[in-house]
Amino acid sequence: MVERSNAVIVGAAESPYSRHPPEGTTTESLLADAFVRVLAGTGIRREDVDGLGVASFTLAPDRAIDLAWKLGVRPRWLMDDGNGGASCIQLLQHAMRALDAGDASTIVLLSGDHFGADDFRQLVENYNRTTAQYLAGIPHGGPNALFAMLTRQQMDAHGLDREDYGRLVVSQRRWAGLNPGAVYRAPLTLEEYLESPVVVEPLHRLDCVPVVSGADALVLRAGGDGIRIRALHALHNHDGQEGDGLRTGIASIAGDLWRDAGAGPDEMDVISVYDDYPAMAIAQLNDLGFVSDGDVGGFLRRRLDEEHLPVNTSGGQLSAGQAGTAGGMIGLVESVVQLLGQAGERQVENARLALCTGYGMVLYRYGACANAVVLERE
Amino acid sequence: MSLRLFVCSACGRAVFPHLLLCPDCGSTDWRREPVDGGVLEAVTDRGVVRLGAVRTSSGPLVIVRVDGDAKAGATVQLDEDGDVPVASG
Repeated sequence: MVERSNAVIVGAAESPYSRHPPEGTTTESLLADAFVRVLAGTGIRREDVDGLGVASFTLAPDRAIDLAWKLGVRPRWLMDDGNGGASCIQLLQHAMRALDAGDASTIVLLSGDHFGADDFRQLVENYNRTTAQYLAGIPHGGPNALFAMLTRQQMDAHGLDREDYGRLVVSQRRWAGLNPGAVYRAPLTLEEYLESPVVVEPLHRLDCVPVVSGADALVLRAGGDGIRIRALHALHNHDGQEGDGLRTGIASIAGDLWRDAGAGPDEMDVISVYDDYPAMAIAQLNDLGFVSDGDVGGFLRRRLDEEHLPVNTSGGQLSAGQAGTAGGMIGLVESVVQLLGQAGERQVENARLALCTGYGMVLYRYGACANAVVLERE
Repeated sequence: MSLRLFVCSACGRAVFPHLLLCPDCGSTDWRREPVDGGVLEAVTDRGVVRLGAVRTSSGPLVIVRVDGDAKAGATVQLDEDGDVPVASG
């Protein structure tokens, strides 16, 4: 049993995601916008912020301290985390302990990216040394081809076809239609999903996240009213990149997570799983025990498509967009917004418990980072 | 040239790509050893190039460029083109 934190999340905000941001947009301007919005939404004053954490691929060469200077924050606690889709739950894990220990009293966590014309290609070819040395020369062209192979292997392992993946994508688009902040909101049919152009078989365009510019923010305080963190677990590099890639590190932490949360998958009112590709969202749902009978196809048909299980209710990265590392915070922001009852048309009624995962950092074959959190409105 | 894996000088564990410490014994001392080939476990076509995942006969699973039209399940030969592993056959 891991000791429960007294820290609370008191607010969440997003700088609007955009496929084609206005000229002059920069990573730091997006992060600043998310910062201003989250303070405005919570009524917390800038001078009360004494902790700052940031996750961003494109803020470099600047770091959290550059941001602190330019935002006018004097933090006692300062942290950068560059671990992609797991970075924001990672920041949360550290921030809640800093608040418990008294190292800070009010922490703002920021995450976001803006990709210029060549930034995205640079990022995927130089994602890490291993990628630059052993994959870029193939040329592998970024993670799509790797996840195409994993998707094919998942199809074979679970007897899935493209329609099954389509049910997740269509269901997330249905939620996105209720989220004014999602970049793709138009209703999507299964037929339209199936007919979208091929990218790398079996992945088609609607299986790949739209890259956007945007930023997300959270504010935490040491105690008082807010969203509580019932349980948080992480396990990174769980198999040394030597597994099948379809069982994520989340499978290894699910038991501890549910035990410490004192709740199970059936009690989650809102579910946010990291959806860089439909196959990986499905893998995590399976790893967490949402697919109770092992019938993944049946789960997608019945629970997602027919019963509208609230998975990735912002539309997720697949419909709302992937603003780089903010892809690791979009689920946290949505969880908090839902638990605070601020989700507007897409509000899940009486949402009290939320599950959110982080996954990512494709070191060689698949994501090596995994973490998950259960949040609670008291 | 045949693809060379990284083999731990202390315990003989093979890995690819290069790691700092041997996952099994913790040694930092590696030698390069050629591997004959392996089985193509997965393959996909990017248009400009075919990519595959090959389970080598020594254990490690290697992401490769696939020259030719080998299908999943095929036994392939493994070579190096610079640092890039290449499967054919």
